Amino acid sequence: MFKKVFASAVLVATAVGLAGCATDDSAISLTVYSGRSEALVQPLIDKFSQETGIEVEVRYAGSAELAAQLLEEGQNSPADVFFAQDAGALGAVGKAGLLQAMPQNILELVGSDYSAADGSWVGVSGRVRVLNYNPEKVTELPNSVFDLAGPSWKGRIGIAPTNASFQAFVTAMRVLEGDAKTTEWLAAMKTNAVIYEKNSAILEAVEQGQVDAGLINHYYWFARAKEVGSEAMSSKLAQFADGDAGNLVNSAGVGLLSDSSAGKEFVEYLLSKEAQEYFANETSEYPLISGVAVSSELTPLSEVPAPQIDLSDLDSLEETLALIRAAGLI
Amino acid sequence: MRRPPLLVAALGISAALLAVLPIGYLALRLVEGFDRAIAELLRFRTLELLGNTALLVVAVTVTALVLGFSQAWLTTRSNIRFAPLFGVLAALPLAIPSYVMALGYVSLFPGFSGFFGSWLVLTFSTSPYVFLAVTAAMVRTDTAAEEVARTLGYGRWQVLLKITWPQVRPAATASMLLVALYTLSEFGAIAILRYDTFTRAIYNAYRGSFDRTSAASLAVVLLLITLIVIWFERKYRGDFQANSMALTKRLRVDLAGYKPLATVWLSVAALVSIGIPLASLVVWSIQGASSVDIGLLVEALSSSVQLAVMAGVIIGIFGTAVALWGVRYRSRLGSLIEGISWATHAIPAIVVGLALVFFGANVTPWIYQTTLMLLIAYLILFLPNALAAIGVPIAQVSKNLVDVSRSLGTPANKTLYKVVLPIAFPGIIAGVGLAALTVLKELPATLLLRPTETNTLATRLWGATEELAYAQAAPYALLLVIIAGLPALALNAQARKALSEVRS
Repeated sequence: MFKKVFASAVLVATAVGLAGCATDDSAISLTVYSGRSEALVQPLIDKFSQETGIEVEVRYAGSAELAAQLLEEGQNSPADVFFAQDAGALGAVGKAGLLQAMPQNILELVGSDYSAADGSWVGVSGRVRVLNYNPEKVTELPNSVFDLAGPSWKGRIGIAPTNASFQAFVTAMRVLEGDAKTTEWLAAMKTNAVIYEKNSAILEAVEQGQVDAGLINHYYWFARAKEVGSEAMSSKLAQFADGDAGNLVNSAGVGLLSDSSAGKEFVEYLLSKEAQEYFANETSEYPLISGVAVSSELTPLSEVPAPQIDLSDLDSLEETLALIRAAGLI
Repeated sequence: MRRPPLLVAALGISAALLAVLPIGYLALRLVEGFDRAIAELLRFRTLELLGNTALLVVAVTVTALVLGFSQAWLTTRSNIRFAPLFGVLAALPLAIPSYVMALGYVSLFPGFSGFFGSWLVLTFSTSPYVFLAVTAAMVRTDTAAEEVARTLGYGRWQVLLKITWPQVRPAATASMLLVALYTLSEFGAIAILRYDTFTRAIYNAYRGSFDRTSAASLAVVLLLITLIVIWFERKYRGDFQANSMALTKRLRVDLAGYKPLATVWLSVAALVSIGIPLASLVVWSIQGASSVDIGLLVEALSSSVQLAVMAGVIIGIFGTAVALWGVRYRSRLGSLIEGISWATHAIPAIVVGLALVFFGANVTPWIYQTTLMLLIAYLILFLPNALAAIGVPIAQVSKNLVDVSRSLGTPANKTLYKVVLPIAFPGIIAGVGLAALTVLKELPATLLLRPTETNTLATRLWGATEELAYAQAAPYALLLVIIAGLPALALNAQARKALSEVRS
C-alpha cells in the first residue's frame, strides 16, 4: 500500500510541476523588470496599459538583484525593459552589452547630463545627495563633505557603501578631487562612519538618534515626511557648500533589453508630462524633461549647489569600488 | 551491501544532481576570473569576515543547543508544571522568520544591533530545531538506564551527561548542524542587525558591485567551511539507536527547589523569542490594518500556501529516498548523496537562486520563471531540513522488525514499503511540515525565481519593508507567522506524541 502511496505521490508531484510550466502568451505584451517599488510604479503602468492596450507584466525586486538576474540571464532574458533605481545597476547591465541603443528622439527629451554617455539608457528622474542631520546633535553644519573626516565626527555619521548612489558620489569625489584625497576620506570613514545597508536605514537611524547625521538621497526624507507629516520629522536636510562632491545630482533611469516597439512606447510614456508630474508629486524627485514643475517644497534643480560634473564622467565605477574595498568599507 | 530499490536510487541521484547545480555554477564563475578570485580571498577583509562568521556560528550553535536541550529536558523529563504549554512555546519561534524577529527587536530597541543582536535573534530562531529533535529522541528512548544510574548513586548532572546525552546525541548533533548551516547562510536578520559575515559579504558583492567573481570565491570559502562543519557532525554524531522498547512509563525528575528557576528560564525564553517580536508585530498591524488591501493579502496567502504544500510534498519524497539510501543501505554512494545535499544548504539562497537563473534562462528556458523552477530551488535549498527530520525515524525502525519480516519470506523491497515506511511515516510527515514551514519564510530565491507577477506573503512583506512602510508590512508578517505556526504546532505535537500515548 505504501509503495502505491509513495509512487502516486511522485506522479502527482510531477503532474503539478508540469502544470506549473503551462504559461499563456498574449498578443502584445511587455515584460518590465522594475527596481522601483510596486506602490510607486504600478499606478503608472496601469494607466499606460489603459491608454495603449499593451499588457505589461512587471517583476519587482531590488535594482541590484534584478541587475544580477539580467547578467545571469544574458541574451535569453524574458525582460524587455529594465527600470532601475540608480545609474549603477543600469551601467552594469549596459557594460555587459545587454542594453539596446536608446532611440535618439527619446535621448533628446532629457539633458545628456542625466543619461548614459553611450546612449544605452536614459534618465527618468533626478535626485540630490544631501546631509541628513539631527539638529539637536549637529549645531554647526559641516561646510564640506571632507569635514566629516575630522576626529570630531567619530562614530557620528551613517553611510551606505554598498548603495549605488553613495558609490556614484565617491566617483564624483574622485573626478573632482583626485584619488589620493578620496582614499584619505574613505579611510577616515572606516573610523568615523557607521555602516548601513541602504539610505532608508540611515534616515531611520538619524531620526531615532542612533547617529547624528547621514549621507542620503533627498527624496527618502520627503517620502517619510509624507507618511508621518513633516512636523513629526526630527531630522533635517542640508547641502554642503557650492560645488561640493557631497551635493551630487544623480538619476534613476530606464534601459531597453529588447527591440520591442512596446518597450520604446513605455519609455516614452515614462518621459511624458503626465508621468514626470507623477514622479515630481509622488516621490518629490526632480522631473527631467523641460516644462514640468518641481514639487513646491524642493529647491529647483538649477539652484542646487551641485558640483559641475557630467554624469557620464561617472562611469569609472570599478576604480571607485576598488578604493571603497581597499578602505575595508565593503 | 544490498542495493536500494530503483525508485529510491532514481530520486536520490536526481536530488544529488540538482544539488550539484549551484556548485557547478560557482566553479564556472571562478574559472572565469580566477586571478580576481584569488585576490579577493587574500584580502585582510576575508580574514576579518572569517573570524566574525566563525564567532557567530559557534556562539549561536552552542547557545541554541543549551537552550533547546534544556527546554526539551525540562518539558519531557522533569516534573515542571505546564510542560505541554512550554513545549508549544519552545517550538513556536520556528514560525517567525528571523528577519521578522530582527525587525521586531530593532523597531522596539533602536540600538539593538551587531554581534549581540545577531547572536540573540539567531539563537532564538534556531533553538526550536534542537528542541524538536531532542524532544523526539528523548521521548523515544528508555528512561530505565537513567533510573538505574540514579539508584547506583549518580548525581543529576552525571546522569544527564553520561546516560541521557549519549542517547540523544545523534539527534542533537544533526539539529546543531542545521543550526550552524542556518547561521552560515542567514542574510535577512544579519543585514538588519548589521553584523558582517561571509553571507552578508556575498550579498554585498552582488548588490554593491555586481561582482559575480568575488561573490563566487567567497561562496566557495563558505562551502569549505560547511564541509568542515559536516565532517565534525559526522565524526561526533555517533550511531542512531534503534529502540523499540521506549514507550514505557517514565519517571519524571523532581526539580524540587529548582522548579521556580526552571519556570522562569522557560518563560523568559518564550518572552524573548515569541512575546516581544509578536507584540511589536501586533502593534504595527493595528497601525497598518486600515491601509492593507485584503485582496492582495488573500492572493499572497494562497500562493504562499500552495507553494509551501507543493514544495513540502516534493521535498518529503526526495528526502525519504535520500534518507533511506543513506541510513538503511549505508552505501558509500548513499552517504555521498546525503553529504552533497547537506553541503549545498549553507550556500546563500541568492547564489542558489542565481545559479538557477543562469541555468534556467540559458539551458531550460521552457521552465524558467515557472512554478516548477521555484520548486526545484526549494528542493535544493531545504532538502536537508527534511533530512534532519526524516533521518532519525527511518534509522530508528527496529532492525528486529525488519528481520522478522524478511524471515517470513517478504522480499526486501516489500519490507521497505510494508514495514519501514509505515513506521517512519509520522517522521516523514514531520519532515514535510518542516520543509513547508521553511519554504513559507524563504525570500531571496523566491524573489529571483517566482513566476513574474506571483506574490507570496514573504515577497509582499519584503516589498513593504523596502519602502519602510512597517505598518503595511506587519499584517503580512503576522499572517505569515500564523500560517507557519500551524506546521510548527503539528511538529511539536508529533515530537511529543509518544509521551501522551504513554501517559493516557
